[in-house]
Amino acid sequence: MAKNILERAVDWGRRKSPWIIHFNAGACNGCDIEVVDALTPRYDLERFGILQQGTPRHSDVLVCTGAVTLQTRDRLKQIYEQMPEPKFVVAVGTCACTGGIFDGCYCVSGGIDSVIPVDAYVPGCAARPEAIIDAVVKLLSALEAAQKAEPSEQ
Amino acid sequence: MLLALFHILIFPGMLFLGAYALVFSFIDRKLYARLQNRRGPRWYQPLADFLKLLGKETIIPEHADKRVFVFLPVMALAAVTAAYLYIPIWSSTSLYPFEGDLIVLLYLLTLPTLCFFLAGWYSTSVYATIGAVRALTQLFSYEVPLFMALLAPALLADSWSLSGMTAYYSTHPLYLLINIPAFLVAVIACQGKLERVPFDLPEAETELAGGTFVEYSGRLYAIFRMAIDCELVVVASLISAVFLPFYPAGAWAGFGVYILKTLVILFILALLRSIMARVRIEQMVAFCWKYLTPLALIQIIANLLLKGVLA
Repeated sequence: MAKNILERAVDWGRRKSPWIIHFNAGACNGCDIEVVDALTPRYDLERFGILQQGTPRHSDVLVCTGAVTLQTRDRLKQIYEQMPEPKFVVAVGTCACTGGIFDGCYCVSGGIDSVIPVDAYVPGCAARPEAIIDAVVKLLSALEAAQKAEPSEQ
Repeated sequence: MLLALFHILIFPGMLFLGAYALVFSFIDRKLYARLQNRRGPRWYQPLADFLKLLGKETIIPEHADKRVFVFLPVMALAAVTAAYLYIPIWSSTSLYPFEGDLIVLLYLLTLPTLCFFLAGWYSTSVYATIGAVRALTQLFSYEVPLFMALLAPALLADSWSLSGMTAYYSTHPLYLLINIPAFLVAVIACQGKLERVPFDLPEAETELAGGTFVEYSGRLYAIFRMAIDCELVVVASLISAVFLPFYPAGAWAGFGVYILKTLVILFILALLRSIMARVRIEQMVAFCWKYLTPLALIQIIANLLLKGVLA
Protein backbone atom coordinates (compact mmCIF):
# COMPACT_ATOMS: atom_id res chain seq x y z
CA MET A 1 0.00 0.00 0.00
CA ALA A 2 1.38 3.40 -0.98
CA LYS A 3 2.05 5.97 1.70
CA ASN A 4 -0.54 8.65 2.28
CA ILE A 5 0.31 12.34 2.12
CA LEU A 6 0.78 12.71 5.89
CA GLU A 7 3.32 9.89 6.10
CA ARG A 8 5.18 11.30 3.11
CA ALA A 9 5.26 14.77 4.74
CA VAL A 10 6.76 13.32 7.92
CA ASP A 11 9.30 11.35 5.85
CA TRP A 12 10.26 14.57 4.08
CA GLY A 13 10.63 16.34 7.44
CA ARG A 14 12.89 13.57 8.70
CA ARG A 15 15.21 13.94 5.72
CA LYS A 16 15.36 17.73 5.93
CA SER A 17 15.83 18.25 9.65
CA PRO A 18 18.31 15.90 11.31
CA TRP A 19 19.21 17.23 14.75
CA ILE A 20 22.40 15.83 16.18
CA ILE A 21 23.81 15.17 19.59
CA HIS A 22 27.53 14.68 20.01
CA PHE A 23 28.89 12.04 22.37
CA ASN A 24 32.52 11.35 23.19
CA ALA A 25 32.84 7.65 23.99
CA GLY A 26 36.54 7.87 24.80
CA ALA A 27 38.14 9.77 21.94
CA CYS A 28 41.45 11.61 22.14
CA ASN A 29 39.50 14.86 21.40
CA GLY A 30 40.85 15.06 17.85
CA CYS A 31 37.58 13.97 16.24
CA ASP A 32 35.55 16.03 18.73
CA ILE A 33 37.32 19.18 17.62
CA GLU A 34 36.52 18.25 14.01
CA VAL A 35 32.84 17.67 14.84
CA VAL A 36 32.71 21.08 16.53
CA ASP A 37 34.56 22.51 13.55
CA ALA A 38 31.86 21.17 11.21
CA LEU A 39 29.25 23.11 13.23
CA THR A 40 31.05 26.47 12.96
CA PRO A 41 29.95 29.22 10.54
CA ARG A 42 32.72 28.20 8.09
CA TYR A 43 30.98 24.89 7.24
CA ASP A 44 27.47 25.96 8.37
CA LEU A 45 25.58 22.69 8.81
CA GLU A 46 22.30 24.61 9.27
CA ARG A 47 22.19 24.67 5.44
CA PHE A 48 21.09 21.03 5.65
CA GLY A 49 18.83 21.69 8.61
CA ILE A 50 21.33 20.19 11.03
CA LEU A 51 21.21 21.68 14.52
CA GLN A 52 23.14 20.59 17.56
CA GLN A 53 20.91 19.76 20.50
CA GLY A 54 21.91 19.48 24.13
CA THR A 55 19.59 16.64 25.08
CA PRO A 56 19.11 13.16 23.53
CA ARG A 57 15.32 13.66 23.74
CA HIS A 58 15.42 16.25 20.94
CA SER A 59 17.98 14.52 18.72
CA ASP A 60 17.69 12.25 15.70
CA VAL A 61 21.34 11.48 15.01
CA LEU A 62 23.87 10.41 17.62
CA VAL A 63 27.35 11.48 16.49
CA CYS A 64 29.86 9.31 18.35
CA THR A 65 33.62 9.65 18.48
CA GLY A 66 36.31 7.39 19.90
CA ALA A 67 36.70 3.76 20.85
CA VAL A 68 34.20 2.72 23.52
CA THR A 69 35.91 2.39 26.87
CA LEU A 70 34.43 0.20 29.59
CA GLN A 71 33.71 3.39 31.58
CA THR A 72 31.52 4.95 28.89
CA ARG A 73 29.89 1.76 27.56
CA ASP A 74 26.83 1.91 29.83
CA ARG A 75 26.49 5.67 29.39
CA LEU A 76 26.56 5.32 25.61
CA LYS A 77 23.86 2.67 25.76
CA GLN A 78 21.78 4.85 28.08
CA ILE A 79 22.07 7.94 25.86
CA TYR A 80 21.10 5.84 22.84
CA GLU A 81 18.05 4.47 24.64
CA GLN A 82 16.98 7.97 25.74
CA MET A 83 16.65 9.09 22.12
CA PRO A 84 13.13 8.85 20.66
CA GLU A 85 12.55 6.68 17.55
CA PRO A 86 13.48 6.92 14.69
CA LYS A 87 17.17 7.44 15.47
CA PHE A 88 20.47 7.05 13.68
CA VAL A 89 24.09 6.70 14.75
CA VAL A 90 27.15 8.07 12.96
CA ALA A 91 30.59 6.81 14.07
CA VAL A 92 33.19 9.53 13.45
CA GLY A 93 36.86 8.59 13.24
CA THR A 94 38.82 5.36 12.87
CA CYS A 95 38.58 4.53 16.59
CA ALA A 96 34.79 4.88 16.50
CA CYS A 97 34.59 2.65 13.41
CA THR A 98 36.77 -0.25 14.55
CA GLY A 99 38.47 0.62 17.80
CA GLY A 100 41.53 1.84 15.87
CA ILE A 101 44.86 1.58 17.64
CA PHE A 102 43.03 0.96 20.92
CA ASP A 103 41.39 -2.23 19.66
CA GLY A 104 42.13 -5.11 22.00
CA CYS A 105 43.20 -2.82 24.81
CA TYR A 106 42.24 -4.10 28.29
CA CYS A 107 39.85 -1.19 28.94
CA VAL A 108 38.26 -0.91 25.48
CA SER A 109 35.30 -2.87 24.16
CA GLY A 110 35.94 -1.90 20.50
CA GLY A 111 34.20 0.38 18.02
CA ILE A 112 30.81 2.03 18.55
CA ASP A 113 29.11 -0.91 16.79
CA SER A 114 30.23 -3.23 19.58
CA VAL A 115 27.61 -1.52 21.79
CA ILE A 116 24.91 0.07 19.63
CA PRO A 117 23.94 -0.30 15.93
CA VAL A 118 25.73 2.17 13.64
CA ASP A 119 24.25 3.58 10.41
CA ALA A 120 27.24 5.45 8.96
CA TYR A 121 30.99 5.17 9.41
CA VAL A 122 33.40 8.07 8.86
CA PRO A 123 37.01 6.83 8.86
CA GLY A 124 39.95 9.17 9.37
CA CYS A 125 42.35 10.16 12.10
CA ALA A 126 41.02 12.67 12.72
CA ALA A 127 38.02 12.67 10.35
CA ARG A 128 37.84 15.90 8.37
CA PRO A 129 34.74 18.15 8.71
CA GLU A 130 34.07 17.68 4.97
CA ALA A 131 34.03 13.91 5.50
CA ILE A 132 31.57 14.27 8.41
CA ILE A 133 29.24 16.48 6.34
CA ASP A 134 29.52 14.04 3.42
CA ALA A 135 28.62 11.13 5.72
CA VAL A 136 25.54 12.91 7.06
CA VAL A 137 24.35 13.85 3.55
CA LYS A 138 24.92 10.24 2.38
CA LEU A 139 23.03 8.97 5.42
CA LEU A 140 20.11 11.23 4.48
CA SER A 141 20.07 10.02 0.85
CA ALA A 142 20.22 6.39 2.06
CA LEU A 143 17.30 7.24 4.35
CA GLU A 144 15.37 8.59 1.37
CA ALA A 145 15.94 5.35 -0.56
CA ALA A 146 14.86 3.30 2.46
CA GLN A 147 11.74 5.43 2.94
CA LYS A 148 10.77 4.91 -0.71
CA ALA A 149 11.24 1.13 -0.44
CA GLU A 150 9.40 0.58 2.86
CA PRO A 151 5.63 -0.01 2.80
CA SER A 152 3.07 2.17 4.57
CA GLU A 153 2.72 1.73 8.32
CA GLN A 154 -1.01 1.13 8.02
CA MET B 1 -20.98 31.68 15.41
CA LEU B 2 -19.45 30.42 12.14
CA LEU B 3 -17.60 33.71 11.71
CA ALA B 4 -16.19 33.45 15.24
CA LEU B 5 -15.02 29.89 14.51
CA PHE B 6 -13.42 31.12 11.29
CA HIS B 7 -11.63 33.84 13.29
CA ILE B 8 -10.39 31.37 15.89
CA LEU B 9 -9.35 28.53 13.60
CA ILE B 10 -8.31 30.07 10.29
CA PHE B 11 -7.80 33.82 10.14
CA PRO B 12 -6.34 35.47 12.15
CA GLY B 13 -6.39 32.51 14.55
CA MET B 14 -4.52 29.22 14.52
CA LEU B 15 -3.84 28.55 10.83
CA PHE B 16 -2.66 32.03 9.84
CA LEU B 17 -0.77 32.53 13.10
CA GLY B 18 0.94 29.14 12.72
CA ALA B 19 1.94 29.81 9.10
CA TYR B 20 3.15 33.32 9.91
CA ALA B 21 5.05 31.95 12.93
CA LEU B 22 6.90 29.50 10.65
CA VAL B 23 7.76 32.32 8.23
CA PHE B 24 8.82 34.51 11.16
CA SER B 25 10.98 31.78 12.61
CA PHE B 26 12.65 31.25 9.22
CA ILE B 27 13.37 34.97 8.78
CA ASP B 28 14.72 35.12 12.32
CA ARG B 29 17.06 32.17 11.76
CA LYS B 30 18.14 33.41 8.33
CA LEU B 31 18.95 36.89 9.66
CA TYR B 32 20.83 35.32 12.56
CA ALA B 33 22.85 33.20 10.09
CA ARG B 34 23.56 36.10 7.73
CA LEU B 35 24.73 38.27 10.63
CA GLN B 36 27.17 35.45 11.52
CA ASN B 37 28.35 35.32 7.88
CA ARG B 38 26.66 31.95 7.27
CA ARG B 39 24.30 30.92 4.50
CA GLY B 40 21.61 29.86 6.93
CA PRO B 41 18.69 27.43 6.69
CA ARG B 42 16.47 26.85 3.66
CA TRP B 43 13.07 28.54 3.50
CA TYR B 44 11.10 25.43 4.51
CA GLN B 45 13.33 24.59 7.49
CA PRO B 46 10.89 25.48 10.35
CA LEU B 47 8.14 23.49 8.59
CA ALA B 48 10.45 20.47 8.18
CA ASP B 49 11.44 20.67 11.87
CA PHE B 50 7.79 20.84 12.91
CA LEU B 51 6.70 17.89 10.73
CA LYS B 52 9.65 15.79 11.84
CA LEU B 53 8.90 16.40 15.52
CA LEU B 54 5.24 15.49 14.91
CA GLY B 55 6.33 12.13 13.51
CA LYS B 56 8.75 11.25 16.28
CA GLU B 57 8.21 9.03 19.29
CA THR B 58 6.89 10.92 22.33
CA ILE B 59 8.56 9.88 25.57
CA ILE B 60 6.96 10.76 28.91
CA PRO B 61 9.34 10.39 31.87
CA GLU B 62 8.41 7.69 34.37
CA HIS B 63 8.19 10.01 37.38
CA ALA B 64 6.49 12.90 35.57
CA ASP B 65 2.80 13.68 36.11
CA LYS B 66 1.46 12.41 32.79
CA ARG B 67 -1.70 14.50 32.47
CA VAL B 68 0.00 17.80 33.38
CA PHE B 69 2.99 16.91 31.19
CA VAL B 70 0.72 16.50 28.15
CA PHE B 71 -1.57 19.43 29.01
CA LEU B 72 1.09 22.16 29.41
CA PRO B 73 2.24 22.53 25.75
CA VAL B 74 -1.39 22.73 24.60
CA MET B 75 -2.12 25.34 27.26
CA ALA B 76 0.87 27.47 26.17
CA LEU B 77 -0.20 27.37 22.52
CA ALA B 78 -3.84 28.12 23.39
CA ALA B 79 -2.90 31.17 25.50
CA VAL B 80 -0.74 32.61 22.73
CA THR B 81 -3.40 32.02 20.07
CA ALA B 82 -6.07 33.62 22.26
CA ALA B 83 -3.85 36.67 22.77
CA TYR B 84 -3.47 37.10 19.02
CA LEU B 85 -7.24 37.62 18.57
CA TYR B 86 -7.04 40.89 20.55
CA ILE B 87 -4.32 42.46 18.40
CA PRO B 88 -5.37 44.80 15.58
CA ILE B 89 -4.05 43.46 12.28
CA TRP B 90 -5.55 45.09 9.21
CA SER B 91 -7.40 48.04 10.79
CA SER B 92 -7.09 50.18 13.90
CA THR B 93 -9.48 47.97 15.88
CA SER B 94 -8.98 44.32 16.70
CA LEU B 95 -11.72 41.74 16.09
CA TYR B 96 -13.05 41.80 19.66
CA PRO B 97 -12.01 45.16 21.14
CA PHE B 98 -13.01 46.22 24.64
CA GLU B 99 -11.74 48.71 27.21
CA GLY B 100 -8.81 46.97 28.92
CA ASP B 101 -7.77 44.51 26.20
CA LEU B 102 -4.14 45.64 26.58
CA ILE B 103 -4.12 44.34 30.16
CA VAL B 104 -5.79 41.05 29.18
CA LEU B 105 -3.24 40.62 26.39
CA LEU B 106 -0.33 41.10 28.77
CA TYR B 107 -1.74 38.53 31.18
CA LEU B 108 -2.43 36.03 28.38
CA LEU B 109 1.21 36.45 27.34
CA THR B 110 2.35 35.63 30.88
CA LEU B 111 0.65 32.21 30.71
CA PRO B 112 3.21 30.57 28.36
CA THR B 113 6.04 31.48 30.74
CA LEU B 114 4.15 29.87 33.61
CA CYS B 115 3.62 26.81 31.39
CA PHE B 116 7.38 26.66 30.72
CA PHE B 117 8.02 26.81 34.46
CA LEU B 118 5.51 24.05 35.24
CA ALA B 119 6.79 21.96 32.30
CA GLY B 120 10.28 22.06 33.74
CA TRP B 121 9.02 21.42 37.25
CA TYR B 122 6.87 18.40 36.31
CA SER B 123 9.62 16.84 34.17
CA THR B 124 11.39 15.82 37.41
CA SER B 125 14.77 16.21 35.76
CA VAL B 126 17.55 18.20 37.42
CA TYR B 127 18.33 20.21 34.29
CA ALA B 128 14.66 20.96 33.70
CA THR B 129 14.13 22.01 37.33
CA ILE B 130 17.04 24.47 37.22
CA GLY B 131 15.66 25.84 33.95
CA ALA B 132 12.19 26.14 35.48
CA VAL B 133 13.46 28.07 38.50
CA ARG B 134 15.40 30.37 36.19
CA ALA B 135 12.28 30.93 34.06
CA LEU B 136 10.38 32.06 37.14
CA THR B 137 13.23 34.24 38.47
CA GLN B 138 13.44 35.85 35.07
CA LEU B 139 9.69 36.38 34.97
CA PHE B 140 9.83 38.55 38.08
CA SER B 141 12.62 40.65 36.55
CA TYR B 142 11.47 41.46 33.01
CA GLU B 143 7.72 41.48 33.59
CA VAL B 144 7.68 44.72 35.61
CA PRO B 145 9.63 46.90 33.12
CA LEU B 146 7.76 45.29 30.20
CA PHE B 147 4.34 46.03 31.70
CA MET B 148 5.35 49.58 32.66
CA ALA B 149 6.82 50.25 29.22
CA LEU B 150 3.67 49.05 27.45
CA LEU B 151 1.31 50.85 29.82
CA ALA B 152 3.11 54.22 29.68
CA PRO B 153 1.81 55.07 26.16
CA ALA B 154 -1.64 53.96 27.30
CA LEU B 155 -1.45 56.42 30.24
CA LEU B 156 -0.73 59.29 27.88
CA ALA B 157 -3.57 58.22 25.56
CA ASP B 158 -5.92 57.85 28.53
CA SER B 159 -7.22 54.52 27.27
CA TRP B 160 -6.55 50.88 28.25
CA SER B 161 -7.52 49.49 24.86
CA LEU B 162 -5.35 49.21 21.76
CA SER B 163 -8.02 50.79 19.54
CA GLY B 164 -8.41 53.76 21.93
CA MET B 165 -4.64 54.30 21.92
CA THR B 166 -4.55 54.12 18.13
CA ALA B 167 -7.34 56.69 17.89
CA TYR B 168 -5.43 59.04 20.23
CA TYR B 169 -2.04 58.68 18.53
CA SER B 170 -3.44 59.03 15.01
CA THR B 171 -4.68 62.52 15.97
CA HIS B 172 -1.43 63.34 17.87
CA PRO B 173 1.29 61.44 15.96
CA LEU B 174 4.13 63.56 17.38
CA TYR B 175 3.49 62.25 20.90
CA LEU B 176 4.78 58.87 19.72
CA LEU B 177 8.31 60.32 19.84
CA ILE B 178 7.96 60.76 23.61
CA ASN B 179 7.51 57.00 23.98
CA ILE B 180 10.90 56.11 22.47
CA PRO B 181 12.51 55.19 25.85
CA ALA B 182 9.53 52.91 26.59
CA PHE B 183 9.99 51.31 23.17
CA LEU B 184 13.64 50.53 23.94
CA VAL B 185 12.71 49.08 27.33
CA ALA B 186 9.96 46.95 25.79
CA VAL B 187 12.23 45.57 23.05
CA ILE B 188 14.94 44.59 25.54
CA ALA B 189 12.53 43.19 28.16
CA CYS B 190 10.63 41.09 25.62
CA GLN B 191 13.87 39.21 24.85
CA GLY B 192 13.41 37.86 28.37
CA LYS B 193 9.77 36.95 27.74
CA LEU B 194 10.68 35.18 24.50
CA GLU B 195 13.68 33.51 26.18
CA ARG B 196 16.12 34.65 23.53
CA VAL B 197 19.76 35.70 23.83
CA PRO B 198 20.87 37.58 26.00
CA PHE B 199 18.13 36.34 28.36
CA ASP B 200 17.82 32.70 27.21
CA LEU B 201 18.85 31.41 30.63
CA PRO B 202 15.93 28.95 31.08
CA GLU B 203 16.91 27.08 27.89
CA ALA B 204 20.68 27.68 27.91
CA GLU B 205 21.52 24.59 25.86
CA THR B 206 25.26 24.86 26.48
CA GLU B 207 24.90 24.69 30.27
CA LEU B 208 21.45 23.20 30.95
CA ALA B 209 21.22 20.96 27.85
CA GLY B 210 17.89 22.50 26.82
CA GLY B 211 16.61 23.66 30.21
CA THR B 212 12.89 23.47 30.81
CA PHE B 213 12.25 21.36 27.69
CA VAL B 214 14.97 18.81 28.37
CA GLU B 215 12.51 15.91 28.81
CA TYR B 216 10.05 16.90 26.09
CA SER B 217 10.22 14.98 22.82
CA GLY B 218 8.22 14.35 19.68
CA ARG B 219 4.74 15.79 19.36
CA LEU B 220 4.69 17.62 22.71
CA TYR B 221 7.97 19.36 21.95
CA ALA B 222 6.63 20.30 18.50
CA ILE B 223 3.65 22.03 20.16
CA PHE B 224 5.97 23.83 22.58
CA ARG B 225 8.18 25.04 19.75
CA MET B 226 5.12 26.20 17.86
CA ALA B 227 3.94 28.09 20.96
CA ILE B 228 7.34 29.82 21.22
CA ASP B 229 7.33 30.77 17.53
CA CYS B 230 3.75 32.08 17.80
CA GLU B 231 4.70 34.03 20.93
CA LEU B 232 7.40 35.79 18.90
CA VAL B 233 4.79 36.87 16.35
CA VAL B 234 2.32 38.00 19.04
CA VAL B 235 4.90 40.01 20.98
CA ALA B 236 6.21 41.66 17.80
CA SER B 237 2.61 42.50 16.80
CA LEU B 238 1.87 43.89 20.26
CA ILE B 239 4.95 46.14 20.26
CA SER B 240 4.14 47.36 16.76
CA ALA B 241 0.50 48.00 17.75
CA VAL B 242 1.49 50.01 20.83
CA PHE B 243 4.46 52.00 19.52
CA LEU B 244 3.82 52.13 15.76
CA PRO B 245 0.02 52.53 15.50
CA PHE B 246 -0.16 53.41 11.79
CA TYR B 247 -3.07 51.95 9.85
CA PRO B 248 -3.72 53.20 6.30
CA ALA B 249 -7.23 53.00 4.89
CA GLY B 250 -8.25 49.69 3.31
CA ALA B 251 -7.84 46.16 4.62
CA TRP B 252 -5.10 45.09 2.18
CA ALA B 253 -2.96 48.19 2.70
CA GLY B 254 -3.44 47.85 6.46
CA PHE B 255 -2.40 44.19 6.30
CA GLY B 256 0.70 45.04 4.25
CA VAL B 257 1.72 47.74 6.73
CA TYR B 258 1.18 45.27 9.59
CA ILE B 259 3.54 42.74 7.95
CA LEU B 260 6.12 45.47 7.35
CA LYS B 261 5.94 46.74 10.95
CA THR B 262 6.31 43.27 12.49
CA LEU B 263 9.25 42.50 10.20
CA VAL B 264 10.99 45.70 11.35
CA ILE B 265 10.48 44.65 15.00
CA LEU B 266 11.74 41.14 14.13
CA PHE B 267 14.87 42.62 12.57
CA ILE B 268 15.62 44.55 15.77
CA LEU B 269 15.03 41.42 17.87
CA ALA B 270 17.28 39.29 15.61
CA LEU B 271 19.97 41.97 15.70
CA LEU B 272 19.88 42.00 19.51
CA ARG B 273 20.07 38.20 19.55
CA SER B 274 23.09 37.98 17.29
CA ILE B 275 25.24 40.75 18.77
CA MET B 276 24.90 39.68 22.40
CA ALA B 277 25.99 36.75 24.54
CA ARG B 278 24.05 35.10 27.35
CA VAL B 279 24.28 36.84 30.74
CA ARG B 280 24.22 35.12 34.12
CA ILE B 281 20.95 35.03 36.05
CA GLU B 282 21.99 37.54 38.72
CA GLN B 283 23.29 39.91 36.02
CA MET B 284 19.96 39.59 34.29
CA VAL B 285 17.99 40.39 37.46
CA ALA B 286 20.29 43.29 38.34
CA PHE B 287 20.08 44.75 34.84
CA CYS B 288 16.28 44.59 34.77
CA TRP B 289 15.79 46.12 38.20
CA LYS B 290 18.63 48.68 38.11
CA TYR B 291 18.29 50.04 34.58
CA LEU B 292 15.14 48.90 32.79
CA THR B 293 12.65 49.48 35.61
CA PRO B 294 13.86 53.03 36.50
CA LEU B 295 13.85 53.94 32.80
CA ALA B 296 10.27 52.72 32.46
CA LEU B 297 9.36 54.57 35.67
CA ILE B 298 10.85 57.82 34.32
CA GLN B 299 8.79 57.29 31.17
CA ILE B 300 5.60 56.92 33.21
CA ILE B 301 6.37 60.06 35.25
CA ALA B 302 7.19 62.02 32.08
CA ASN B 303 3.93 60.90 30.47
CA LEU B 304 1.94 61.85 33.57
CA LEU B 305 3.58 65.30 33.69
CA LEU B 306 2.96 65.80 29.99
CA LYS B 307 -0.65 64.81 30.45
CA GLY B 308 -0.97 67.42 33.25
CA VAL B 309 0.62 70.10 31.04
CA LEU B 310 -1.67 69.26 28.14
CA ALA B 311 -4.77 69.23 30.32
